Amino acid sequence: MTSSVIHVSEERLDETLMIVLDGELDASSVNDVAVKLRRLVENQAKRLVVDLERVSYLDSAGINLLFAVAGELSARQQQLHLVVVEGSPIERTLRIVGAERAFPVHASREAALAEA
Amino acid sequence: MSGRSLPSPEDALRELQRISDAALASLTMHDLLRELLERIAGILGTDTAAFLLLDEVSGDLVAQAAKGIEEEVEQGVRIPMGRGFAGRIAAERRPVRIEDVDHADILNPILREKGIRSLLGVPLLVEGRVIGVMHVGSLTRRHFDERETDLLQLAADRAAIAIEHARLHAQRHTVEAMQRAMLPSALPVIPGIEFTATYRPAAVDARVGGDWYDVFELGRGRIALVIGDVVGRGVEAGALMAQVRTALRAYALEGHPPAGVVELLNRLFASVRPTKLTTVAYIVLDPERDEMRLVSAGHLPPIVVGPDGIGRVMEVEGDPPVGAFRAAIYHEHLVTLEPGSRLVLVTDGAAEVRGEPLDDGLDRLRLMCAEEPDAHALCAAIAAGAVTGGPSDDDVAVLVAEILPLPERLATRWPADADALGGLRHLLRRWLAGHGARDNEIYDITVAVQEAAANAVEHAYAPGTAAFSVDAHNEGGAIVVTVTDRGRWREARGQNRGRGFPLMRGLMESVDVQPADHGTSVVMRRTLEAAARGTLEAAP
Repeated sequence: MTSSVIHVSEERLDETLMIVLDGELDASSVNDVAVKLRRLVENQAKRLVVDLERVSYLDSAGINLLFAVAGELSARQQQLHLVVVEGSPIERTLRIVGAERAFPVHASREAALAEA
Repeated sequence: MSGRSLPSPEDALRELQRISDAALASLTMHDLLRELLERIAGILGTDTAAFLLLDEVSGDLVAQAAKGIEEEVEQGVRIPMGRGFAGRIAAERRPVRIEDVDHADILNPILREKGIRSLLGVPLLVEGRVIGVMHVGSLTRRHFDERETDLLQLAADRAAIAIEHARLHAQRHTVEAMQRAMLPSALPVIPGIEFTATYRPAAVDARVGGDWYDVFELGRGRIALVIGDVVGRGVEAGALMAQVRTALRAYALEGHPPAGVVELLNRLFASVRPTKLTTVAYIVLDPERDEMRLVSAGHLPPIVVGPDGIGRVMEVEGDPPVGAFRAAIYHEHLVTLEPGSRLVLVTDGAAEVRGEPLDDGLDRLRLMCAEEPDAHALCAAIAAGAVTGGPSDDDVAVLVAEILPLPERLATRWPADADALGGLRHLLRRWLAGHGARDNEIYDITVAVQEAAANAVEHAYAPGTAAFSVDAHNEGGAIVVTVTDRGRWREARGQNRGRGFPLMRGLMESVDVQPADHGTSVVMRRTLEAAARGTLEAAP
């Protein structure tokens, strides 16, 4: 059956780890992304920025993963930042579940790096 | 012996011809060689006869069949090119006569041990290539004359062709198995789109190999369709096809745009020497946007049958075949593909008739694609040679994609499996777009429906066995979607779960959970903006 395809790439900028997701994040792709995210998070980077600008679909399976990762990071005094296109359906979705109150959401990578 | 009367060359050849033709159908290489030896030794009245074939890997001549000197084969005699009697014949590509073995350079001791006195050998040539040597011998001293030499060479020429055909015939099974192994065992199941495909190996052994088709998902509801033809034949073409197919898949799944995929493919295979060409049509289908992007690397143009039932040959200016020029640039052609359209991709063998303009074949193909309602029957007919007027000498591959029109009222059933969610999402998006929903509305409704479906998947009694249904209809501008499963509604528990229901409520106007027959229904409603504005404007 149909399985969603999502690409995960990473960039390191000083002490920030930038993870770029590209594709659709749903119940069929969330496990792959979870494995990759947790493997990347384990290293020394102090800050983690997840760039969702190129994610065209995000549902509660993906949102739950972001909350879980944010929780794991905060236990290690690290913080999760998100980059989301302003006014996008994804931003609306995140607002509905209160993600914007749980971790910083930025409108651009530059804004995330400036604050992160 | 010298008093023996030789048959005329015509009679001798006819005699050989008879076996070689029969051989193509049934004899193994070993039996064929033995049969040829018997005949030739009989025609020339010699005591011994032998075939040595060139081993292309080592470059040696290897004894493959012998009469009167069977030890040659049993001991696996190998003669290096250019050395001894047989090696000289192959290297010089001309007949060699030895009247007295005692005074000649003979490498193979068996010939002397068996008491052979005189020898005559000729090269086995196919299209100017040496594929081996054939020789005959006499236990008594004998002078092979010009006429006997010519006769043996004629026999050898005929034998060489038979051997080459038998080789290709033997290879055929390998190549066919390889071809079949490289074709998708099953085409992806994508709701709203039907794929049908066929591959038929060439009727002529010498032409089997090189055609392929492929279908795979690229994410975001897009689907890759590939059809291609590696120019060449046999194991070599089959092996290259396997590489091209895999490389194309890899580049496509990496996320490169269609033209980029073909450019990368070309760069990879342009370095292969000697130059091998591959024609490819690479298509990325986007059913949510009713469009496709085509890149044609020297391949036959696709046929599109529109919802109007008219078949058209797509007018595209193609780019060079893959492998032709390292610096070739490839172009994307954006084509609208409305629901109800049928897309047909074929390889040369499906439409090409020697001596006829290609356009004539394409025109017949176009008409047939429009006339035959059943895609399986269409594939079978094309593969059987309905366009070309008989089975093609070439391989034939056919790939058909049909974009099914979506019904006014959507009624679908899905396996309770997370992998079903993507298909549901893409189908729903197509349906919503057809009802005038805007991008943000499509997004919201899709997420909400998906959340209800994910709940059904998560709470299925046993994986694989259960199913859920999704029905959708348009109530005068309000989209109403019902997701029904066979379990009791349960909100997910756990710290980082349970966001599904708030999302559904946040995205839709109303969400009602109702008991249904043996399960639970979630009924969700959202009025489309366009409809809401229409109502306001209509108000006095």
